[in-house]
Amino acid sequence: MSVAELKKRHIAATATVNALREQLKQKRILLLDTDVAGYARSQGRTPVSFGPTDLVCCRTLQGHTGKVYSLDWTSEKNRIVSASQDGRLIVWNSLTSQKTHAIKLPCAWVMTCAFSPNGQSVACGGLDSICSIFNLNSPNDKDGNLTVSRMLSGHKGYVSSCQYVPDEDTHLITSSGDQTCILWDVTTAQRLSVFGGEFPSGHTADVLSVSINGSNSKMFVSGSCDATARLWDTRIASRAVRTFHGHEGDVSTVKFFPDGYRFGTGSDDGTCRLFDMRTGHQLQVYHQQHDGEVPLVTSIAFSISGRLLFVGYSNGDCYVWDTLMAKVVLNLGSLQNSHEGRITCLGLSADGSALCTGSWDRNLKIWAFGGHRKVI
Amino acid sequence: MQALDSETASTIDLQAPAVPTADTRGKHRILAELKRLEQETRFLEEELEELEKTDKVSAACEELLTNIETRPDPLLPVTNGPTNPSWDRWFEGPQDSKGCRCWIL
Repeated sequence: MSVAELKKRHIAATATVNALREQLKQKRILLLDTDVAGYARSQGRTPVSFGPTDLVCCRTLQGHTGKVYSLDWTSEKNRIVSASQDGRLIVWNSLTSQKTHAIKLPCAWVMTCAFSPNGQSVACGGLDSICSIFNLNSPNDKDGNLTVSRMLSGHKGYVSSCQYVPDEDTHLITSSGDQTCILWDVTTAQRLSVFGGEFPSGHTADVLSVSINGSNSKMFVSGSCDATARLWDTRIASRAVRTFHGHEGDVSTVKFFPDGYRFGTGSDDGTCRLFDMRTGHQLQVYHQQHDGEVPLVTSIAFSISGRLLFVGYSNGDCYVWDTLMAKVVLNLGSLQNSHEGRITCLGLSADGSALCTGSWDRNLKIWAFGGHRKVI
Repeated sequence: MQALDSETASTIDLQAPAVPTADTRGKHRILAELKRLEQETRFLEEELEELEKTDKVSAACEELLTNIETRPDPLLPVTNGPTNPSWDRWFEGPQDSKGCRCWIL
């Protein structure tokens, strides 16, 4: 076939794809008979109401000498690992505020960290394009540093996010500036699967975040600078299960909803969205009007029931959204003892009783409910 | 109710190339792009078919409401039981909220 003939076919194929996309878009609009807030209002629900001293900062974890970029809780109750611009990971007992480990990293430019399910290892990654694993029970070297026990190399760009597969200490998923996600076998340091890359349904720009489904660990979602979130099945690396459009800027953070059937996203467009995993529907947009510049969403986390959505923004705010009513019910950024800078990361403890926030102000803070609880 | 936003850019330049004399792209590259477009067409057709059998958003909302309201949540002022006394461990015992302040150097 001649080049001219091929170009003709290319033009025709382009038109077909465009037409199909438009059809899909219109079909989804027809199915959008309500959103979550509209439905909840129709069922007579009212927003969560917090008293002024209900959610309080009950711990401030100090010790990093640079901005905090990432944090992760253990799956048992109280330990947290944090990563900072100071080139270190710190492991904390959040109940006592004590530091149990301070790990000097071979590459100071760390962006993400994660605890293994058994709490015995931590993983981190960053601009070195490597995901490094540290065994917390190993002896220190002669300089008093914990040595790397595994280096997962293979990404061709920075490692933006990492998470261990729940209940599997040997498997971990990373996201990268090279537009792919990788499932690793930590024991052998081998890449088991690469999601995206040369396949058409992969991300077309840096991937910034991953979240693995806690109820079905074969499914994970990724968020990217291509303004989409994509759902993956770890058994099928060749194509994304579904691509979720809607955001108008980088999707900087994704998090599965506690029931495992939905997930939240946060973006540079200043909004968060809730998507349904099985149908692909966009269920709700969480957006508040701003005068002037719209703050970017940096991080999100759901409370254990999913009723609350905690959102960190680039201007230091930390909104508590009522997920059902799509209303901001509290701003942790305006409470006493709140952070003095941008909040970069958030996470709930395993039992849902505490929220940890990490900030450019170099601190981590623990927030819990200190008011009177009504049980129904 | 939120309207869906417009499609975002994809990997493939969906602007049909003008018919230029100066276009020097090789045959192989055009073939590869064509293959990707054809695969994308198949994926989109599959998705359209699936959408025919998909419930409206309200059905998903109903399930969401139930899932949220049946789960105990320590951070809510009003919540289902059972509660757990360890939820309040953050306010028990000596609370030195400044804790260990040693600087890691």
